[in-house]
Amino acid sequence: MSASETPLLDELLKGPWPSFVKEMKEMADTKPMVRDVLRQLEKSYVDKKTHWKHGGIVGVKGYGGGIIGRYSDSPDEFPGAAHFHTVRVNQPAGWFYSSQALRDLCDIFEKYGSGLTNMHGSTGDIILLGTTTDELEPIFSALTEKGWDLGGSGSALRTPSCCVGPARCEWAMFDCLDVCHELTHFYQDEIHRPGFPYKFKIKVSGCPNDCVSSIARADFSIIGTWKDQIQINQEEMRKYVEEGANPLTSAVLLCPTRAIEWDGKEITIDNENCVRCMQCINAFPRALKPGKERGATILLGAKAPIVQGALFSSVLIPFMEIEPPYEEVRDLLERIWDVWDDHGENKERIGELVERMGKGEFLDQIGVEPDVQMVFHPRENPYVFYDEYYEET
Amino acid sequence: MSLEVNGVDIDLDEDGYLVDRNQWNEDIALALAKTEDVEMSEKHWEIVNFLRKYYEEYQIAPMVKILAKEVAKLNNIDKRESSKMLYNLFPSGPAKQACKIAGLPKPTGCV
Amino acid sequence: MNVRKTDIGCPDYKQFLPPVIKKNYGKWDYHEVPRPGVMLHVGESGDKLWSVRIGSPRLLNVHSIRYMCDVADKYCDGFLRFTSRSNVEFMTEKEENVEPMIQDLESNGWPVGGTKNSISNVIHTQGWVHCHTSATDASGLVKAVMDEFYEDFVGHTVPGRLKLAVACCLNMCGAVHASDIAILGIHKRPPSVQNEAISNYCEIPTTIASCPTGAIRADIVDGEKTLKINDAQCMYCGACYTACPKLPIADPVNDGLSIWVGGKCANARSTPRFTKMVVPWIPNNPPRWPEVVDAVRTIVDVYKKYGKPWERMADMIDRIGWARFFKLTGFEFTKYHIDDYKLATKSYNASTHLRF
Repeated sequence: MSASETPLLDELLKGPWPSFVKEMKEMADTKPMVRDVLRQLEKSYVDKKTHWKHGGIVGVKGYGGGIIGRYSDSPDEFPGAAHFHTVRVNQPAGWFYSSQALRDLCDIFEKYGSGLTNMHGSTGDIILLGTTTDELEPIFSALTEKGWDLGGSGSALRTPSCCVGPARCEWAMFDCLDVCHELTHFYQDEIHRPGFPYKFKIKVSGCPNDCVSSIARADFSIIGTWKDQIQINQEEMRKYVEEGANPLTSAVLLCPTRAIEWDGKEITIDNENCVRCMQCINAFPRALKPGKERGATILLGAKAPIVQGALFSSVLIPFMEIEPPYEEVRDLLERIWDVWDDHGENKERIGELVERMGKGEFLDQIGVEPDVQMVFHPRENPYVFYDEYYEET
Repeated sequence: MSLEVNGVDIDLDEDGYLVDRNQWNEDIALALAKTEDVEMSEKHWEIVNFLRKYYEEYQIAPMVKILAKEVAKLNNIDKRESSKMLYNLFPSGPAKQACKIAGLPKPTGCV
Repeated sequence: MNVRKTDIGCPDYKQFLPPVIKKNYGKWDYHEVPRPGVMLHVGESGDKLWSVRIGSPRLLNVHSIRYMCDVADKYCDGFLRFTSRSNVEFMTEKEENVEPMIQDLESNGWPVGGTKNSISNVIHTQGWVHCHTSATDASGLVKAVMDEFYEDFVGHTVPGRLKLAVACCLNMCGAVHASDIAILGIHKRPPSVQNEAISNYCEIPTTIASCPTGAIRADIVDGEKTLKINDAQCMYCGACYTACPKLPIADPVNDGLSIWVGGKCANARSTPRFTKMVVPWIPNNPPRWPEVVDAVRTIVDVYKKYGKPWERMADMIDRIGWARFFKLTGFEFTKYHIDDYKLATKSYNASTHLRF
C-alpha cells in the first residue's frame, strides 16, 4: 500500500515501540479489506471522529454471542470496511499456546478474515479483528475443527480468565488454570446463550498481587490467599542482606500493619496482624513464602463506571478452599445468579444490584452469613431497616 | 438490503432488520423468518406474538430471562429446558432472531 | 459434511504447557529478575526456567504471530504464552538460549522488558481502529506514549511498577479506573437527538434508564414519540448512545482526553483504589497527541524524582499528598477536579490535615 494514502498514520510507523500501523499495513498488501480499514482510520485521524457505525447483530447458528457486528459508516467510500466483524475465540487458561496451535489460528484468520488479531481482548479472548457476515459460519466450522470455540458477549457469562498460576508462579494458592478451565467448560451454555440481566465476568488470580486485575474488573473475583503463618527462611533472609537488600525499606517500613520486625539477624512476623498484602513476600521470595493453609477470597461486584459508577469487588467469602470439582464455587455462583435473575433489572451488573438492594439484604437472599471482614468498618449512619421487633402482648 | 413481500420491496438494514418497523405484518414475518432459515411453526408464532405483545405494553423487548420464563410457563418446562427450546426454535438466539422476525428494534450494546 | 460442533469450550491448557512447566507445576520455589525483561523461576526440583518478555501493540497480524511461533520453535520447544497486559513470554530451560533469543527478538523490533519497576505494557481499547463509541484512538495514543517511554519499558528505571492504561470512552473496556496513569477519552457535549423515527430504532424506556443522572425523558414531537435530553444534567458518559443509535455523541471539536493517576489493583502495601483526575481535558491531536505525551512525561518525571523504591503512584501520593502532587506537576487544580457525583462528599477534606 502506498504511503501517500495515509500520511498521518505513517507518522506512527516511526519510533522504537512496535507499531500497530505496521501490523495493519503488512496485511493491507494482501487484504483489500485492511487497506480500506486503514484508509478509514486515516479519515478518523483527519476529522477526529470514529467511522464505525453503531451496533451490528450477527452471529453463528446456535449461539447468542461470540461475534460483534461492526459496519463502516461510509461503506461507499471504504467498501472493504463495509463489514468488519469481531470474532471472539475463547483463549486457553493462562494464555499458553503451542506454536502449532497458534499457526492453525493464523491460517484460519488469514483465510477467512483480515489476518489481524488482538492478542488479547480486554476480557481475555483471542480476537479476530475483522471478517464479513458470509465468512462467519465457515470460520466457526474451521475453528471448532481445530478444537477452538467462541467466547462470550452480550448479557452472558463472559470468557473467564486467570493469571499464570501454578504453571509458573510460586505464589499461586490454588490451581487457577484448572478452576478457570473447568468453570469455562461447565458453563458453556451461560457463555454462548445470553440469559443474564447483563454481562458477568469471572477472573481468577492466584494471590493478592492480582495479576488479572480481578478486583477491578470481575463481577466474581477469585483471589488466592492463605490463613496460617508466612513461612520464613532466616538463612535466605540473611543472604538477601549480604547481597545488599534492605529489609527495613523493602518490607518493615512498607508493611501496612507494621507486622514485621527485623533485628539485623532475624525477621519476625506478627501473623495475627498480617493482612496478606504480599509486599514482604514480593520483596524476598526466597526467604518468605505464603502459609500452607491455602485457598481464596471470593469478592463480588467489580465494574467500570457505566452506568452507576465504577466499583471494586468486595469481600463475599473471606476464605474458601478451592478444590476440584469446585462444587462450592459453582454452588455460590448459581445462588448469586438466581438472585440476580429474580431481582436484576435490564443492564444491571451484579455490583449495582448489591448497591441497590444493600449488601446485608443481598447476603440474606443468597444465604451467606454476614462477616465483619466484608466491610472496612461497620455502618456510620443510623438509618437501619430492622427486621425484628416486639409487639406488646 | 431489501426483501420483496407480496410484490412490495421492504427495506432492511445491514443486519436484515426492518428499517421501518411499522411495515410489519405476518407475511413480512414469514419472509424475515425465511432469511434466517427458520420455518415458522405454532411454537414460533407463540414467541413472536409474546414479543410483540410485550413490546406493545412496555415499549421494550423483554429480557431473555423473562422470555425464558414465559416459554417455561407456556410449555410447563423448567428454565434450562426453556432456554434450550428457545435456541432450538431460533438457533441464532431469541434476542437476535426472534426480535428480528417480530419486527422489534435491533438489540443494542455489546451483543 | 461433518457434524457441526458446538460448545466444545476452550482447548485444554495442559497440552500447551512446556515439559519443564508440567514437571514443576505447582512446585516452583522462587523467582528473580536477572535483567529487565527476563525472569528466572526456580523449581523445588532445582529446575530452572528463563522467561523472556516482549512488549506488543496488542494488535498483531498473522505474520508477526508466526514470527513469534518461529522464535518459540527455535528456542522454546515450540511453546509461548501471552500475559494479561498483552506482553508475549518465551520460556526456556536453556540459559544459553536466552541471549540469542533476546538478540533475535530485539533485532526484529520487539522490545524486551516490562518486568518489575518498569513501565509495563499499556492496557488499551479499540479506539477509532474498531469502535463506534470511541472519543479518540487508543492504539495511536499508546504508540505515541510508548515511543516516549521506551527506555522505561526496557529498563528498571521507575521507583515501582508503573501501569498505564488507555480507554477511548467511559465504557472503559480496559482497567483504566485502577491504573497508575490512565488516559481516558471523553466527550464534552450532550448527544444530539435525531428525532426522525427514533422509536423505530430505539427502546424509549431502555434509553431513559441508561442515563446515570436521569437527564433523559420521553417526549413527543410532531406526534412522534422521541426523547428529550436535559443538557444541564448530562455529563456526556455516552451510555444512552450505547442503548440508542439515534443519540450520537461524537464531536470532533469537543471530544478529547483526560488524565487520571493513582489507581491500583494489587493488594501489596495499600488496598486497591481508583484513579483520580489530574487533567480534565486535552484536545485530540492525532497522530501523536503531543499534549498528552507531555502531561504523562510530567507525571512520570515527578514519580521518578519523588517516589521511593516499591512505591506505586498511589503510595507516593499518599505520602506526599495531593497538594504537593499538583504543585510538583504544575497541573492546574480546577472545579472539575472536585467530585460532584454520588458519595462525592466522601472525598471532601473534613480535617485540618493540610500541607503548605
